[in-house]
Amino acid sequence: MFGDGAPTNRFEDFDKAEVLLLIGSNTTDAHPVVANRIKKAVKNGVKLIVIDPRKIDMTKSAEKHLQLKVGSDIALLNAMMHVIIEEGLYDKDYIARVSEGFDELKEKVSMYTPEYASEITRVAADDIREVARMYASADHGMIAYTLGITEHHFGVNNVFDIANIALLTGNIGKEGTGIMPLRGQNNVQGAGDMGCLPNQLTGGLKVVNEADRKIFEDAWGAELPAEVGHTQTAMLEKMTAGKMKALYVIGENPILADVNMHHTTQAIRNVDLLIVQDLFLHETAKIADVVLPARSWAEVDGTYTNADRRVQRTRQGIEAHPNTKGDWQILCEIATLMGYEMNYNSSEEIWNEVRSLVPHMFGGMTYERFDNEGGLNYPCPSVDHPGTFILHERFHQGIELKEKSRFVPVDFSPPAEPTDDEYPLTLTTGRRYEQYNTNSQTAYYPEKIKLKQTEETVDMHADDAASLNIEDGEYVEVASRRGKVKVKAKICKKMQKGDVFMSFHWAEVPTNSLTIDEFDPISGTAEYKACAVKISKLA
Amino acid sequence: MGKQEVKMICSYCGTGCGLIVEVEDNKIVKVRGDKESAVNKGQTCIKGSFAYNYVHAKERLTTPLIRKNGELQPATWKEALSFIAEKLTSFKKDFGPDSMSIFACARATNETNYVTQKFARAVLGMNNIDGCNRT
Ligand code: SF4
Repeated sequence: MFGDGAPTNRFEDFDKAEVLLLIGSNTTDAHPVVANRIKKAVKNGVKLIVIDPRKIDMTKSAEKHLQLKVGSDIALLNAMMHVIIEEGLYDKDYIARVSEGFDELKEKVSMYTPEYASEITRVAADDIREVARMYASADHGMIAYTLGITEHHFGVNNVFDIANIALLTGNIGKEGTGIMPLRGQNNVQGAGDMGCLPNQLTGGLKVVNEADRKIFEDAWGAELPAEVGHTQTAMLEKMTAGKMKALYVIGENPILADVNMHHTTQAIRNVDLLIVQDLFLHETAKIADVVLPARSWAEVDGTYTNADRRVQRTRQGIEAHPNTKGDWQILCEIATLMGYEMNYNSSEEIWNEVRSLVPHMFGGMTYERFDNEGGLNYPCPSVDHPGTFILHERFHQGIELKEKSRFVPVDFSPPAEPTDDEYPLTLTTGRRYEQYNTNSQTAYYPEKIKLKQTEETVDMHADDAASLNIEDGEYVEVASRRGKVKVKAKICKKMQKGDVFMSFHWAEVPTNSLTIDEFDPISGTAEYKACAVKISKLA
Repeated sequence: MGKQEVKMICSYCGTGCGLIVEVEDNKIVKVRGDKESAVNKGQTCIKGSFAYNYVHAKERLTTPLIRKNGELQPATWKEALSFIAEKLTSFKKDFGPDSMSIFACARATNETNYVTQKFARAVLGMNNIDGCNRT
């Protein structure tokens, strides 16, 4: 497959698209300013199609809303490709030049007739046909997606299938097209790009590739391990098995943020040395062996990389909080105490080391340019390079590619825990507008701000509430096979029957004690998005 | 200290809005969208504009803590960092690098993340580094 999950285009391309598929993204709440940009693009003529189980706010701007069943995205996308191939709407010349594996894809999607997919997704077959035609016939078809699609045990397959449909229709490699994964946290992209992944070094270089490792071995004067490390999920499993001695957690509260928190807590308790470096004494810090007080966003210099590959400079605005140290300063001091001298005078010095190690990606991005020009999109190999707005442009240059992109056909598989008589409702989880992840920072809004939501609710369809004799605002118990929580019920027009929604922002209502312990076998991403629950009135 | 305006990037979602942060006597008093930013052209959302008070919260940690006799107790930086360095050195020697792991921070700067993985690979000698950075 092409690329590595990096966004292929920029936010500017929303304005140049004809059709935009928004998949599993509650953009209004999770990425409000992107939502505004999309709404503006719609006013200027972009046709928006929302694919989401909930009647989210973005549907108000949409030409079409496919309200599919939670976790049935692959069935829908495969059926769309079925239609596109059957009706000859794919870009034949393009895929002959740039792709391979078309026959396997055709074979795979042949069974996904719109009628068959309709049974799985609850979306009408004709709606699937209509949307497939709209996307495939547009000269510029773009896709944006969020957690809704990646947080399944089959999340990686969802991402493959999105790439399949974009490639099939020639929608990779030019403006107003492409795939934009909208990242949940501000520097997810950058953390991965810098090499905070078990299989990747800085700049996307590969741990298993000797030549790649050598670049870093020479610069760092150390021999580097050649085997891919464990994903977070696998690390937790090793902890549970008692095979992990130490865990160093930087700026995260995994106990509250992870699926199935009981399991996570047990795993983490099992290490001999738990180090937590953060601003607050949160749930994970409370069980740590050593806690290190770090500095906040407003106290540090550096760069972040946003959801459209844009590296931007942020600056220290206030003096450091008393007796704290910056994250990288702490790591440098420990390294030096361990006999590996590590020392930087500024974040710029670190950034320049990054530039020198992977110049093809970041070489041309100096702090001076960030100050003068604002953000720059990588790759940006030299100081006179404007940055790269669109990836894979060679796909549209009329040439036959030597290294072709392979289609990765995938099958629909149902959520890990289907509903049944005992647990008849599907719980999905996500973010709310005003809160952020585990809320340890957004809990500090000034008093003058009137918040729409100050406590957790379980959002449900009016019919489900009625059949359980539950009133809006009443406290209820939500239980799964793993745990139960007490929470306020909220009757919500966004929900479809049979689905309920909760976030994981409030420690008082640990939603993740309900969610399930299934992981995507490839990425290790946990299934936050769907599990079976029941709701009952409090005695 | 007086008044100043500092250009920052929002630390919440992946949109990466440019912010102008107004600081008075070392306190953030107001945040507004940076009109010069191509990402947000002056816009922000409630998180970007108002969710900054945590920076000044009295609950912020102001001392390293080490667990002694079952309780987390204040310690000096020197104590805390030496304790960590000694422990990690002995784990590496006795149980091998694979006995250690790091959860990196998808909200920290690129520079911190670069140093974090360098620490994992060059100092601890392992690739067990991952984050909530898959979403
Ligand atoms: S201001 Fe809002 S939309 Fe912009 S980056 Fe911050 S959280 Fe995201």
